[in-house]
Amino acid sequence: MSAPRPTTLVRLLALAALAGLAALVSNWVAGPARRLAWRGSVVVPVPTMIVPPAREPAAPELAPLAGRESIVGKARVEVPRMQVPTLTPPAPAASAAPAPPEATVPIRELGSAEALAGFQAGWPFLDARRSAEFAEGHVRGAFCTSVWEADLEDRLIDFKAARHPGPGDPIIIYCSGGDCHDSHLLAEKLLAQGYFHLLIYRDGYPDWVALGRPTAKGAQP
Amino acid sequence: MNWLRHPRLRLLARLILGLVFLGAALPKLADPPGFAKAIWAYELFPAWSLNPLALALPWLELFCGLALCFGLWWRAAALWVGALLLSFCLALTLNLARQHPVDCGCFGTSAPKTQAQRLADMRWTLLRDLGLLLLVVQVLLPAAPGRSPGRSRLGSGSRES
Repeated sequence: MSAPRPTTLVRLLALAALAGLAALVSNWVAGPARRLAWRGSVVVPVPTMIVPPAREPAAPELAPLAGRESIVGKARVEVPRMQVPTLTPPAPAASAAPAPPEATVPIRELGSAEALAGFQAGWPFLDARRSAEFAEGHVRGAFCTSVWEADLEDRLIDFKAARHPGPGDPIIIYCSGGDCHDSHLLAEKLLAQGYFHLLIYRDGYPDWVALGRPTAKGAQP
Repeated sequence: MNWLRHPRLRLLARLILGLVFLGAALPKLADPPGFAKAIWAYELFPAWSLNPLALALPWLELFCGLALCFGLWWRAAALWVGALLLSFCLALTLNLARQHPVDCGCFGTSAPKTQAQRLADMRWTLLRDLGLLLLVVQVLLPAAPGRSPGRSRLGSGSRES
């Protein structure tokens, strides 16, 4: 191997320029589901901590969170020892919707029963998966808000216009469960927009389907 | 060892590299957000670089793949492919070293896997990339003395067009 000749250097640059130009044009003509904003808007994992509650919750049922992995970001951060309230799922025959519990940590994970309780209470669901996955099936009434697609801001505006969520109102976010982090990324984004009662349905859509809960198909109108 | 620099071997290496990079580029071109997600999972790149990389890298792979297959600007393409393979190897090695399982994302998104499966796949991918790097070295080696330079683009390709 010898050092690149001047013509080779020019060709190296030309190949890169061609790639950049093709990327510009293709992204310009792409539909919303495959378009990307040139400036990345996704939060890159950084060691962040869950904000501790300002005051001890009055809720009687407490669940220890210490020793669990931080739900904010992907960095392996141990959560400091503290107590956070958990939602108690309503009795199946309950007719009145449970009052939203007071948010004590801005982002926390939600179990399967709690997600159902939230659904029955009419809390909004945000689907952080890709829009193609959303079209294949989603929690009934959920909003398609794929964190990786360029029209996320528009979709969030549509969601806010439809549901008028207050900053402290509960919002349930889900993706594919397991090690899917899209819901966490979306929660980070909403947190930055001032929402502080963000509930991540940990087991996500596969769990919802496995338990035979209400679903719907089709793209977001 | 002159057989290692045989023009026909170089042609074969070029075609293999070209086809691999074409195969890698097409699924990523079809789904840039999916590729951005794959890059993000490596946890090695700053936020501002994710989307530009996800948009431009597949096109670079495509043009390099085409250049290698058709023997046009193949030296520059081989240098790019070598640089890309080196960076892929580095990214995989860093994540293997910290036991952080990621989906390769090399040929688009893949089916969900366990963490152990991902780590095993990463080792195989690293080996594959190292093998492809050897092909790049072969392509960039000067032709064996006494071999006549290729006459056609798809021929021996020992003279860059």
